[in-house]
Amino acid sequence: MPIRVNLDRMLVERRMSLTELADRVGVTIVNLSILKTGKARAVRFSTLDALCRELDCQPGDLLNFVPGPPDEPGEEETG
Amino acid sequence: MRTLGPGSIASLLKIAQDVAYAVLWASLVLVVFATAAGLLALPFLTGRLDGHGNIDGHASDISALVAHWPTLLGAAVSIVAYLAVLLIIIFRLRQVFATLILGDPFRPENVGRLRIVGLALIALELVGYVVRLALVWAIPERSKHLDFTVNLSGWFAILVVFVLAEVFREGARLRRDAELTI
Repeated sequence: MPIRVNLDRMLVERRMSLTELADRVGVTIVNLSILKTGKARAVRFSTLDALCRELDCQPGDLLNFVPGPPDEPGEEETG
Repeated sequence: MRTLGPGSIASLLKIAQDVAYAVLWASLVLVVFATAAGLLALPFLTGRLDGHGNIDGHASDISALVAHWPTLLGAAVSIVAYLAVLLIIIFRLRQVFATLILGDPFRPENVGRLRIVGLALIALELVGYVVRLALVWAIPERSKHLDFTVNLSGWFAILVVFVLAEVFREGARLRRDAELTI
């Protein structure tokens, strides 16, 4: 996926744990981990809104575009 | 009407599938045993068959059957093949249905299962033509009325199954997307 999520860096800069962020944002740790590791396929605006609010940042601070081949749709499902 | 649980369409379909599965297994076992018994009895009966096709000098239904045993064996093999393919279809449908009962039918595995059902239906259609051709060859005097036209309903059902398989593929992809939407 050419979109990179900088959640790791943001958490380190703010000295915040994933558990604390999960509590504040109202998203499970499992889902935040999926987002952090770049396995997420989509992010809801409501989640982005909550993340930006709690981390005091802009969406652009959280997400980066890195040129690369896009994922083929359905690639993971059918093997 | 409820989607799942007692009194739902799914529960009725499950009963229908379970009944069909049991009936098909019973029929298959019955045909296999009857064929085996017939083959075992054949040497004894052919020994008592005279030149006029009568057993012990008496004309009987059994003597006619004994005289046509290769055709009967072919018919038995065709019936066993037919029942086996139907069992494959029901078995796969039950697997698909099990995922529905778990509340998660849009799985990638179900795409393959539906494709197998479609291929099995194609096999049934093609085997039907082969059996009819074999009958014309084996007993031409009794096969004049056989129908060799294309079974449009059957081929349409096959098309529906393959379309459904693709719908399931897209459903599985959407489900995966939904799962990984944060």
